[in-house]
Amino acid sequence: MFERECREHDCPLDEDEDAFQGLGEEDEEIDQFNDDTFGSGAVDDDWQEAHERLAELEEKLPVTVNEQTGNGERDERDEMDLLGDHEENLAERLSKMVIENELEDPAIMRAVQTRPVLQPQPGSLNSSIWDGSEVLRRIRGPLLAQEMPTVSVLEYALPQRPPQGPEDDRDLSERALPRRSTSPIIGSPPVRAVPIGTPPKQMAVPSFNQQQILCPKPVHVRPPMPPRYPAPYGDRMSPNQLCSVPNSSLLGHPFPPGVPPVLSPLQRAQLLGGAQLQPGRMSPSQFARVPGFVGSPLAAMNPKLLQGRVGQMLPPAPGFRAFFSAPPPATPPPQQHPPGSGPHLQNLRSQAPLFRPDTTHLHPQHRRLLHQRQQQNRNQHRNLNGAGDRGSHRTSHQDHLRKDPYANLMLQREKDWVSKIQMMQLQSTDPYLDDFYYQNYFEKLEKLSAAEDMPGDGPKKERTKLITPQVARLEHAYKPVQFEGSLGKLTVSSVNNPRKMIDAVVTSRSEDDETKEKQVRDKRRKTLVIIEKTYSLLLDVEDYERRYLLSLEEERPALMDERKHKICSMYDNLRGKLPGQERPSDDHFIQIMCIRKGKRMVARILPFLSTEQAADILMTTARNLPFLIKKDAQDEVLPCLLSPFSLLLYHLPSVTVTSLLRQLMNLPQSAAAPAPSSPPLTAVLQNKFGLSLLLILLSRGEDLQSSDPTTESTQNNQWTEVMFMATRELLRIPQAALAKPISIPTNLVSLFSRYVDRQKLNLLETKLQLVQGIR
Amino acid sequence: MNYMPGTASLIEDIDKKHLVLLRDGRTLIGFLRSIDQFANLVLHQTVERIHVGTKYGDIPRGIFVVRGENVVLLGEIDLEKESDTPLQQVSIEEILEEQRVEQQTKLEAEKLKVQALKDRGLSIPRADTLDEY
Repeated sequence: MFERECREHDCPLDEDEDAFQGLGEEDEEIDQFNDDTFGSGAVDDDWQEAHERLAELEEKLPVTVNEQTGNGERDERDEMDLLGDHEENLAERLSKMVIENELEDPAIMRAVQTRPVLQPQPGSLNSSIWDGSEVLRRIRGPLLAQEMPTVSVLEYALPQRPPQGPEDDRDLSERALPRRSTSPIIGSPPVRAVPIGTPPKQMAVPSFNQQQILCPKPVHVRPPMPPRYPAPYGDRMSPNQLCSVPNSSLLGHPFPPGVPPVLSPLQRAQLLGGAQLQPGRMSPSQFARVPGFVGSPLAAMNPKLLQGRVGQMLPPAPGFRAFFSAPPPATPPPQQHPPGSGPHLQNLRSQAPLFRPDTTHLHPQHRRLLHQRQQQNRNQHRNLNGAGDRGSHRTSHQDHLRKDPYANLMLQREKDWVSKIQMMQLQSTDPYLDDFYYQNYFEKLEKLSAAEDMPGDGPKKERTKLITPQVARLEHAYKPVQFEGSLGKLTVSSVNNPRKMIDAVVTSRSEDDETKEKQVRDKRRKTLVIIEKTYSLLLDVEDYERRYLLSLEEERPALMDERKHKICSMYDNLRGKLPGQERPSDDHFIQIMCIRKGKRMVARILPFLSTEQAADILMTTARNLPFLIKKDAQDEVLPCLLSPFSLLLYHLPSVTVTSLLRQLMNLPQSAAAPAPSSPPLTAVLQNKFGLSLLLILLSRGEDLQSSDPTTESTQNNQWTEVMFMATRELLRIPQAALAKPISIPTNLVSLFSRYVDRQKLNLLETKLQLVQGIR
Repeated sequence: MNYMPGTASLIEDIDKKHLVLLRDGRTLIGFLRSIDQFANLVLHQTVERIHVGTKYGDIPRGIFVVRGENVVLLGEIDLEKESDTPLQQVSIEEILEEQRVEQQTKLEAEKLKVQALKDRGLSIPRADTLDEY
C-alpha cells in the first residue's frame, strides 16, 4: 500500500493521497466532494515545508548518529527508520480512523471535540498530514450528522416556532409564513424578524429628499405613533392576523374617508425645496373660472404635484403637524384651533378654507365618526347661515355627497392630472388634419347656434367648448446616428431612418401571357389607382382655401400655382394622360365613371375645372350616357352629378347647350342592341339622371332662347329641331316607363307650349307632372 | 367644474353610481371612485348583477379594480330611477341556479346544432382553432 521507493519529498503527498483515497473508498458519501475541498487540495500541504522539516530532522539525527558511526549507510537507515516511524504511525492512525468511521457516528462529537484546535505537535512531521485529516473530519462531520437541526438552531439562532397546539382549530389561512430555509454549510444572513424592505418606524430624517417622495409605502408608514403594533411584524403575523389587530395600518382605509390630502400646498412647497407652486395655490373654485383647460402651466406643475401628492404619505418629522385641506369651498367654521398648528396656518386660512386637527393618530373608525359629526355640525351651521336661497337641487346633490363618506377619494389634483394627460393626447399641430370631423362638427354647431342667437339679439350664450391645446409644429431634422472611431459609416435603421429589408422588384408581365380576365382585372385596378391619386389631389385642392387664409402673403402666389397645377393634373387624370396626342377615346373617362367612387369624385372635381374642361366632361358624359346608365344600374350614383352639371350649364353658351342636346338626341346606337329596338334616348328617359339632365338642358336652352333674341337663325333651327325630337320622344314613351326626375325646371311649360299644340301639351304636362298640383 | 366638454372623459363620473359591462360578460354596479388615463376603474361597494330572463340577483363584491381594456361600456345610474324596473330581484342562490340552467340549455342547443351540421357534412370552426391562422 505504501511505496517506499518514493522519494523523500514525495512521500508525504503520496501518503496523504493514499490515505484519503482509502477513506474515500470506504465512505461513499464523501465521493461527491471534490479533492479541492476535501482532498489534497484543501490541505495546506506545502511539501517544501515538509521537506525542510525532514531536512532539519535529518540534520539532527545524522549529527547524533555521526557521532557514533560515521558512515553514510547510517543515513539511509535512519532515513528508513524515520520513514518506518512514519509508516507505523500512519498505520496506527489510519486504523483508528477506519474504526471510528465504521462504528458510531462520531461526527458531532468530533465536531465538538476537535473544535479546540489541534496544536501541531512540535517537531512532529505528522502535523501537516493529520491536520488535514482532522480538518477533513471536522468539515465532513456535520454533513454526516443526522441530528443536524439542533446544531444549526443553536448555531444560527432562529426563533422557534410557537407550539402549534391551540392553533390547530383555526383555519390554515392564518398560519404564518413558512420559516426561512437556511444553509447549514455556507450559512445565511441572519434572519430578521422584520423584512429588509420595511422602513424604520421612527422617521429619523426630518428633511427628506426626492427619492423618499417617490417611494410611497402607505401601509408601513405612519406618523410616529405610540407603539401599537405588535413588535415582530414579519414572521409571526399573517395578513389576516394583522387585520384583526387594533389600529394596525392594514385596517381602515389608507385614505381616511372624507379626508383629503395630508399636506397643504404650502407644506408641499416646503418639502419640495421651495418650489413655489403659485399655480398650486389656486383653489378649485379658481379653477372653475378658467374656461378651457390650458395645458402649459399645469404641465410644469403637475409632475411636482404628482410627486408631492405621492409623497404626502410620508410625514417627515415628528414635530410636523398634518392637517387637511377641505373639499370645494365651504365657510370655515373656526370650531377648534388645532393645537400647535403654527403661524403658517393663519396665512392659509383664507385659501384652504377648512382644516381639521391632526387626527392621524386616531383609530380610523373613530376618525370617520369624528368627521361625520363635524360635517353634520357644518351642515347645521350652514343651514343656519341661510342656505335656503340655494337651489334645492344643489343641496340635495351636496347632501348626497356629504352623506357619502367615501366621496372625493380621488383628489382634485389627481383629477387634474388625469385631465392633463387627456388633454395632452389631444395636442395636435394641425387639428384640421388630425381631427377633421370633430372640427367640422363643432363649426356646424356653432353656426347653428349663431343662427339661432341672431334673432334673439341677446347676449351670446357661452357654450363651453373644449379648447384643445395647440402645439407649434417643430421641424425635426433627423440626423442619423454616427459612431465615433468607427471605420466608415454605420447605418443604424430606426423608425426615422428605415432600411429596405426586402428588395422587391416589380416585373411587369407581357400582355400576351395574360388571359382576358386578367387583363380586365388589371385594367380595373389601374383605374382604381388613378381614382385614388386623383382623389388625393382633390382633397388637397379643396384644402387650399383654408391654407390660403392661414398662410402669409409671400406664400400665397406659390399656393395658387400649386393649386392650379393640381387641378390640371386632375383633369389629365380624368381624361387620360398623354397630353401630346389628342384625346381620341373617352375610354379612360368611361372607365372612371363606371366606378362609384369615380362618379362621386367627378362630381366634386367639376367645380374646380375651367369651363371648357368641364364642358368637355359633360359632353363626354352625354355622349356615353346610355352606357353609363347601364353601368350605374346597381350603384345609382349618377344623380349626384346633376347639381354640378346644372351649375355648369348656367355658364355655358347656347351653342354648347344645343350641341349637348343634339348629342343626347342623336345618341349612337350601340352595336349590341338590335335595330328595331327603341332608340337609346328611351333608355335615357327611363333613367332618373338621364331624364333630369334632359329636362335641365331643355330648360337652359329655353332660358337662353328667350333671353337672347339676337341668336342666329341656324342656331334657332337647330334648336327647334332638337326640341321637336325631344318632345316627340317624350310623348312616345308611356308614362309608366318614364323616370321620376330629380327636379323639374319651372319653365318647361312655357317651353313646350311654344312647340306643341294644346293637346300634346296637356299630355306632356301630365306625363312629366309639370304642373305643381299633380305632384 | 366642467371637465373637457364634448369629450368622453370620466372625471365627471367620479363618485357616481355606474353600471359597467365587462368583456367577459359580467355586469358590475358600483360607485366609481377613481380613474386613470387608461380608463382603469376603481369601483366601490360593487355588486355583480346576474340577469336571467326577467330576474336578477346581486352578489356583493366589495372593491373592484378593473383594467380599462376589459370594459365594454359603462353608464351612470340614475339613483331615483334605479328602483323603477320591471325586473325582479331574487336571491343569489336562485339566480345562480337559473344561470346554470340557462347555460346548460344553451350548451345542449349548441350540441344539437353541431350534430345537425355534422350530419349534413358541414362544420363550424370553433373560435379557439381559428387562432392558428
